Amino acid sequence: VDVAFLIEAAAKVAVVLGFVLISVVYVVWMERKVLGHMQDRIGPQRVGPFGLLQTIADGLKLFMKEDMIPSQVDKAVYFIAPAIPIVTALIAMSVIPFGNSLYLFGRTIPLHIADVNIAILFILGTTSMGVYGIVLGGWASNSKYPLLGGLRSAAQMISYELAQGIALVSVVMWSGTLSLNEMVKQQGHTWFVLNVPLFIAFWIYVICAIAETNRAPFDLPEAETELVAGFHTEYSSMKWAFYFLGEYANMMVVSGVAICVFLGGWHGPVLPSVLWFLVKLALFLFCFIWLRATFPRLRYDQLMAFGWKFLLPLSLLNLALTGVWLVLRGA
Amino acid sequence: MVASILFGLFTVMAVACALGTVFHRQPVHCALFLVGVLLSMSGMFILLNAPFIAAIQILVYAGAIMVLFLFVLMMLNVQGERPFLTPGPTKGFGILFGFVALAELLWIVLAPGAEDWRPGPAPALPAGFGSPAAIGRILYTTWLYPFEITSILLLVAVIGAVVLARRKFE
Repeated sequence: VDVAFLIEAAAKVAVVLGFVLISVVYVVWMERKVLGHMQDRIGPQRVGPFGLLQTIADGLKLFMKEDMIPSQVDKAVYFIAPAIPIVTALIAMSVIPFGNSLYLFGRTIPLHIADVNIAILFILGTTSMGVYGIVLGGWASNSKYPLLGGLRSAAQMISYELAQGIALVSVVMWSGTLSLNEMVKQQGHTWFVLNVPLFIAFWIYVICAIAETNRAPFDLPEAETELVAGFHTEYSSMKWAFYFLGEYANMMVVSGVAICVFLGGWHGPVLPSVLWFLVKLALFLFCFIWLRATFPRLRYDQLMAFGWKFLLPLSLLNLALTGVWLVLRGA
Repeated sequence: MVASILFGLFTVMAVACALGTVFHRQPVHCALFLVGVLLSMSGMFILLNAPFIAAIQILVYAGAIMVLFLFVLMMLNVQGERPFLTPGPTKGFGILFGFVALAELLWIVLAPGAEDWRPGPAPALPAGFGSPAAIGRILYTTWLYPFEITSILLLVAVIGAVVLARRKFE
């Protein structure tokens, strides 16, 4: 066994894991700050400079809180469910290339944990498993509102996964590969999003990604006006925090995929590649927050109608357009 | 070496989860055990140099079909308190077919002269084996007709489901 290779892999896993878990703290801070300013407030500012330590304080509070377990829950499932979204998100993170190769200690180190030649399918597969966390959490709580939240989430994710998958298929047709690395390499000159069919695919993907991560305006599984807090009503302390962590980690995964697939990955002038990736990631996360501050929540029937009657046909049409475009361009 | 250990792990997981699926009384837990079976199967597909099939297994079965199963189970809220073995024609047939399948498998492994059927050492794989491109090529050349017929069957099933569901509402 190549020891150097093992050390390299372990170091990369540690860096990505640490980055995701720590940056979640600051994404939450950013969310509260941005939302605050968009709503003409100032957001957190008491703990640390600019309120930078607010989320850490909140995390400590959640650690210290009593872990309430309602009496009629399905214990095993109730315990496992909050871990599922964050675990699947971290697994999906392992195939996202976050920078150009690095030359260190006489070795060329590619900046992704695993180069999987079917990375797109790998990510779709792992993120599609993430829905279990929400569905099962809602069911195991043995309470009406969480169950409704879980059911909504199951229906919503299945509906939007379809259009999302088909949007990604047009990129696969365009690039002729399922590997994220290969796609990023092909975008050295022109980002994929600058081609007409892929531009449409990009918007379909982004809309579906917001629905997949249960973010506003698609946050029906936790609609507080109707369902108290939806699927996590019966969760408290760190179990609740894990759902939160999972949501933000999933936001990073879908943003990472969008960057690699449509927005040129780590390619960019002057700045080092890793920095470009991080800049794009931060912009994407900002847009997530921006959307939350801007749009009211959809009604459930609007959500379903939009997914099945608009996005899905549009993505299929776009798939056909991509095919025609590729044939004409090839001729 | 590593492959054998992983194979052992996936086998034990698959069998344990399969037993859980059959013997557990809470339907939602049974469905979750079935997800476990599908995940370990997908691991085996990877060990068999078929990463594409493995990914599709997770994406389609574990990620979509089982979620719909759960959806239905949760809606019905089936109580899992019923006794495990109630006599009935379907159970009887199930057990009968189970034993037939078991006998068949044992015959394959143990019968005299069975050495000829047992898989030998793995042959060298052709280049690109198990890759999406190779599978796509086979599906659209050698197996084109079965593939298209299956698609039509599935389409018929979908339309049939819609028709049946509509009739109830009217």
